[in-house]
Amino acid sequence: MRLSTKGRYGLRALVDLAAHEEGEAVSLARTAQRQKLSLNYLEQVFGMLRRAGIVAGVKGSNGGFRLTRDMDEITVKEVLEALEGKFSIVDESDKDTQDPVQSALSALLWDEIDRRVDHFLQEKTLGSLVREYRRNLDKDAAADHSWGDNPVSTYQKRTQRRTERKATE
Amino acid sequence: MKVSTKGRYALEIAADLAMHSDSEHRESLKNIARRRDLSEKYLERIVKMLCRAGIVSSARGARGGYCLAKDAREITLLEILEASEGELAPVPCLTRETDCGIECGQCPTREVWGEMWEIIKKTAGEVTVADLQSQAPSQIQI
Repeated sequence: MRLSTKGRYGLRALVDLAAHEEGEAVSLARTAQRQKLSLNYLEQVFGMLRRAGIVAGVKGSNGGFRLTRDMDEITVKEVLEALEGKFSIVDESDKDTQDPVQSALSALLWDEIDRRVDHFLQEKTLGSLVREYRRNLDKDAAADHSWGDNPVSTYQKRTQRRTERKATE
Repeated sequence: MKVSTKGRYALEIAADLAMHSDSEHRESLKNIARRRDLSEKYLERIVKMLCRAGIVSSARGARGGYCLAKDAREITLLEILEASEGELAPVPCLTRETDCGIECGQCPTREVWGEMWEIIKKTAGEVTVADLQSQAPSQIQI
């Protein structure tokens, strides 16, 4: 049971974009960089979000994408439906309504999961994800500072050391 | 995101065994396959997984066959799915380390997928094989 990369990466990039929007269009290249996703792939995914009326493209040197509405008015459900289609835990075509066992499974399990997940995704807004994301980033930044005054990651430190070593060799 | 045939057939096998067998009267794979209209070979693979998980018990010999290893009221559908589906989580990073490029603590979406997974597990954990068994006959007339 898996969500496709469209849904996974698409929502991740959209939260990043919304978190950095502040009234102006955000360049997709920057989002791709921050989220370590392929720009090419994101362009496809944002094409789908644009067609679904969730984002709008802005042309020009400061161009990119912006949300078409307030992020509290965009539900995770509509984002996922634009990218993955409607959520359902089993294919409708695999349900045999003539068979008593399969009908019981649908009534007690599959339809119930679909109903609850649907409700959850409908209640969850892009805005709530953005606020959670910002909180996590702040937490991480605070943790970095507590290790010294230079908030660089281990990865950056190692790369720096490697470059320095190469320079002295 | 879909449950595969393995998980679906595993649930059907458990329900079938609850209706057509007990520890005194074990059922053959052949009969289950015939009633469920499924390949015996494929069912065998799934039944093995259910045996390993302690959900189904098997016996050899003239009166051999399969039956549920526990009371149907004590087997949840979640247990069966966990025993038969390779992976129940909607995204791989919830169960193992993946290389997605960013740290989990900075992931904008990990919590949403985690909550979604909890809903799926909770729902499947609330229903037992006995519930399926009592629901199934009432569906026959439809």
